[in-house]
Amino acid sequence: MSIARQAGAPASPPPAPGPSRPVRRVRHGLGGRVFAGLATSAGATILVILAAVAVFLVIRAWPALTSSPEELADGVSWFPEGTTLAGFVGPLIFGTLLAALLALLLAVPVAIGIALFISHYAPRRLASPLGYVIDLLAAIPSVVYGLWGATWLAPRLFPLWDWLGRNLGFVPFFEGPASSPPRVVMTVGVVLAVMILPIITAVTREVFLQTPRLHEEAALALGATRWEMVRMAVLPFGRSGVISASMLGLGRALGETMAVLMILGPGFTYSLALLQVGRHQTIAANIANQFPEANPLGVSTLIATGLVLFVITLAVNMGARWVISRRAEFSGAN
Amino acid sequence: MTTTPHPKATPHPQAARRSVAPPTGVSVMETVGLNVYYGGFHAVHDVDLGFERNEITALIGPSGCGKSTVLRCLNRMNDLIPAARVKGQVKYHGQDVYAASVDPIEVRRRIGMVFQKPNPFPKSIYDNVAYGPRVIGMKVPDMDDHVEQCLRRAALWDEVKDKLKESGYSLSGGQQQRLCIARAIATQPDVILMDEPCSALDPIATGAIEDLMIQLREEYTIIIVTHNMQQAARVSDRTAFFTARPDETTGNRTGLLVEYGLTSQIFENPSDQRTEDYISGRFG
Amino acid sequence: MTPHRRLRTAAILVAAIALSGCGSDDPLGHPWRPGGPGEPVENLYDGPVLRGQLEGAGSSAQESAMQAWIAGFQNIHAAASVAYDPVGSGGGRTQFLEGGIQFGGSDAALNHDELDRAAQQCGEAGLAELPLYISPIAVIFNLDGISELQLTPATVARIFDRQVTRWDDPEIAADNPGVDLPDLLITPVARSDESGTTENFSEYLADAAGEAWPYPASGDWPVTGGQSAQGNSGVVQTVTDGRGTVGYADASKAGALGTVKVKVGDDFVGYSPEAAAAIVAISPREEGRPEGSLVVELDRETTEAGTYPIVLISYTLACRQYADPDEAALVRAFLSYVAGEEGQQVSALTAGSAPISDALRAEVQAVIDGIA
Repeated sequence: MSIARQAGAPASPPPAPGPSRPVRRVRHGLGGRVFAGLATSAGATILVILAAVAVFLVIRAWPALTSSPEELADGVSWFPEGTTLAGFVGPLIFGTLLAALLALLLAVPVAIGIALFISHYAPRRLASPLGYVIDLLAAIPSVVYGLWGATWLAPRLFPLWDWLGRNLGFVPFFEGPASSPPRVVMTVGVVLAVMILPIITAVTREVFLQTPRLHEEAALALGATRWEMVRMAVLPFGRSGVISASMLGLGRALGETMAVLMILGPGFTYSLALLQVGRHQTIAANIANQFPEANPLGVSTLIATGLVLFVITLAVNMGARWVISRRAEFSGAN
Repeated sequence: MTTTPHPKATPHPQAARRSVAPPTGVSVMETVGLNVYYGGFHAVHDVDLGFERNEITALIGPSGCGKSTVLRCLNRMNDLIPAARVKGQVKYHGQDVYAASVDPIEVRRRIGMVFQKPNPFPKSIYDNVAYGPRVIGMKVPDMDDHVEQCLRRAALWDEVKDKLKESGYSLSGGQQQRLCIARAIATQPDVILMDEPCSALDPIATGAIEDLMIQLREEYTIIIVTHNMQQAARVSDRTAFFTARPDETTGNRTGLLVEYGLTSQIFENPSDQRTEDYISGRFG
Repeated sequence: MTPHRRLRTAAILVAAIALSGCGSDDPLGHPWRPGGPGEPVENLYDGPVLRGQLEGAGSSAQESAMQAWIAGFQNIHAAASVAYDPVGSGGGRTQFLEGGIQFGGSDAALNHDELDRAAQQCGEAGLAELPLYISPIAVIFNLDGISELQLTPATVARIFDRQVTRWDDPEIAADNPGVDLPDLLITPVARSDESGTTENFSEYLADAAGEAWPYPASGDWPVTGGQSAQGNSGVVQTVTDGRGTVGYADASKAGALGTVKVKVGDDFVGYSPEAAAAIVAISPREEGRPEGSLVVELDRETTEAGTYPIVLISYTLACRQYADPDEAALVRAFLSYVAGEEGQQVSALTAGSAPISDALRAEVQAVIDGIA
C-alpha cells in the first residue's frame, strides 16, 4: 500500500534508472552483523556438540567394540557368558523400545484427548488454568516421577495387573502370574506415559489451537457436530504436530533413566510378558545401574550400549521428520 | 477497493432479463427485528429482510456495517463466538432458527455456506465433496456419481476429474473456491450463504464464480455478502444496502439496513441519499 | 579434582545428557561435599592445627558413615577439609591407584595386580588397607505378623535359588516350630546393580551353604529373571511393597521388616553390631598380604557362638608414605579419628555399622601411626 502511494505521489519523482543511481547493497549495521554471527555460531554449536558426543561415544566404546566375547565375559562381571556384544545389547534395545512404545501407546490418546478438551471443548475459564497445570507437570524432574512411581503407584497398580494376568493371560503381553511387587515393564510404561504426557499434550494443544478457523467453520457450516468438526478439520490439520509431539515424547521415554532405574526389576530377555519381573531392561537404566561399580572395560561396554541408544534416538527423529514431510501436502497449513 | 472511485455500476444483463417479483411474504428466509450484540457492543440494529427462492440477494455496504454478521446469523455461525447474542427472529420457511427447540447443526445442514477465503479440508478433492453427505448421513445411491455431479455443477469437474485423490490444496485459489461451492451443494441445501466469496480471487477466477452463481440460482437461494458493488450489480436480483452509525456516547459503530430492493432499483434509482452516495463512490 | 577426573566426569555428563535427553537425572551420584564449618563444639583437641585438603572416593556402602566421619573430623579440625565421592568401589580403587585421590574406599581387598600398581603409586612403603567399616547384612522378609525366622544357610540358599518356593515349605517349618507360616509364594529380591553387598552375601552362601548354592561368589547376582532393585534402599522398598518377599540389604536399612536369624554352630544368630564385630575378631587375616594390608578372611563357616557371619567389610585405602608431610599428617589424623572409638561410634549411630573390636583397633592404629 505504502509503496503504491509513494509511487503515485507527485512529490517524489521516480528515481532515474541508469548509472547515476547504482543499486547499492543495503548496509546492515553492526547489530545486524553481530546477531547474524551469534545465530550462526549458535547453530554451528549444536552440530559441534552432536559430533563431539558421537566421537566421544565411539572412542570410549572402542575397547568394548574390539574385544572378543570371551574377553568381555572375563573382564565384566555382569556380561553374560557365551554371547557377543550384539547379543548383550539386543535385549536392551528390545527393552528400551518396548518400554518407550508402551508409554507412547498409553500417553498419545490421553494427550490428544486433553489437548482437544483444552483447545476445543473446555470453557475458557477452565482451559487456561488447565493448560498451566499441564505445563507445570512437564517441569517435574524425572526422579520425582520415579519415586512416585516406585513407592506410590506401583503397589496400587498391582490389582489391575493381577486381574489382567488372570483374565487376559492368554494374550502373550499379559501372561501371568503378574509379579508382586509390580516392578515390571508395564508399570514403567505407565509412569513413562505420565512423564511424557505433558510434553505431548502441550505441543499437541498448541497445534490444535492453530487450526485455521476457516477449516473449523467449513466443517460446521456443513452441519458437522463438534466432534465431526474436530475429526475433519482439527485432527488432520494437527496430524503432523501430533507426530512431532509423539516423537518428542518418544525421545524422552527412550532416554529416561531415573524412573526406569527406580521402578524396573531388570532382566535381559526378549520376553513379551509385560507383567513379569526380571525380563526387561532399558539401555539408559542399565548404564546408570552398572556404571558405579564398572571397571574400565565395563564402562566401555556401557558406553557402547549408549552409542546404540544414540543411534536409535537419531533414527526415531529422522523417521519422524520423514513421516511429517510425507504428510505435509495434506496438512492444510497454508 | 472501496476507496477507489469507480463508475456507476449497471446490473448484469442476465439478471435484468429475469422477471423479479416483489417480496411475496413467503420468503425462504427472513429476518424480523434482528439485533446482534457482541458482549456490550451493539453490532446490528433492527434488520428486517426477506430472501426469495431462486434469487441472488446481495448484502452490500461499507466495512463494519454488519452485513457479514447478518449473514452469519442466518445459519447460526455466530453461535461460535462466545459473547455473541441475537435478538429478534431469523425465520427459515417460517420457523425461527433461534428457537430453543432448533438444533443449530440441523440449521447448518439446510443452509450451506461459502467463505471469504477458499477453505477446503486438508483432504483429497473427492473427500472434500463427499464429507458433507457422509457426515449428515445423506442417502446417496452412488457417492462417486454424486461427487461428480456436485463437481460438474460447480464447473470444476473437467479440471479435477483426473486427480480426485489429490489434496484440495493442490488446486488454484479459484478452483479451491469452486471446490468449496461443490462441497456446500453436496448436502443439497436450499440456501447457500456466500461471505465475500471472491475477495481472495483474481478477476478471471472471480468471473468464473460469478457465472457459477448465476447457474446455481436455478436451484438454490443464494445470499451473498460483497464489497464489490459491480459484482452485486452483475449477479444479484435484490440488493440490501447496510451502513454503520456511530453511537453518540461510545463511538462504537452499529450496523443498520438502509435500503432493500431490486438491484436495478437500488443501483439506478436509490431512494436513500446514503445509498446514492455509496454506490456513486462518494462515500469514504 | 584432578584433570583426569574432571575429564571423565565431564565426558560422562555429556553422555548422560545426550542419552537421557533431559538432563534432569543424575544417575551417577554427586560427589559429596561437606558444607561450611559445623556447629562450634567444645574442642578437645590440643595438638598442632591441621590444615589442608583430603580427597577420597570409592565404596558407596561407606557413604553415610563417611559423611558422619568427615563431619565429626572437621568439627575438631576446622581448618582441614575432607571430601568423599561415593563413585563405587571399582571407581575408588581405579582412582586411588592412579593417584588421583589421597584415600579410597573399597568393599573388596585389592587383588594381586592392584597390589603391584599400589606399590608403584605409593612407593617403597606400600599401601595401608584397613577394615574400618564393618556392616552386617540382614536377610529381610515381608510376612504379615512374622518378625523373625530361623533358617539354616542351606535353606537361605535354596530360597534365593528358587528351589524352595513357598513359605510353608517343610524345610522352613522344621526350623521354625510354633510359627504359623503362610501358604504363600516366596519372591526373592536381589540387587540389580553390581555391589559389595551382593558379593558378600553370595560369598556367605557359597561358603556356608555348600552344595545348596551352586554359584561362585560374585558382585553381580547370579540368579536371573527374578525381582531385583537398585541399591539397598531399592531392595528394601521392593521387599516392603511385595507380599512374601525376601531380600538382603545393609542391616541399617532393614527398618521394620522381618529379619532372619541364621544358623551358626548350634544356634540361630540375628544380626547385631556385636555379633558382626565378633565374626571379624575371630576371622584370620589373609596371609601373604604386604605389611600394612590388614585383610580379613571372613570365616563364614564358623561355628563360634555369638557371631553373625553375613557381614560386609569395606576397606579404607591409603598410602603409608606421602610426599608431603602435611598431607601425611592429615591422613594420619583422619584415619585415627575414623578408627578411634569416637569415629566408630559415630558410624554405628548414623550408618548402623559394627564398631571394630579393641584388638583390631590396636592393629589398625599401629599401621596408621606408621604413615609418614
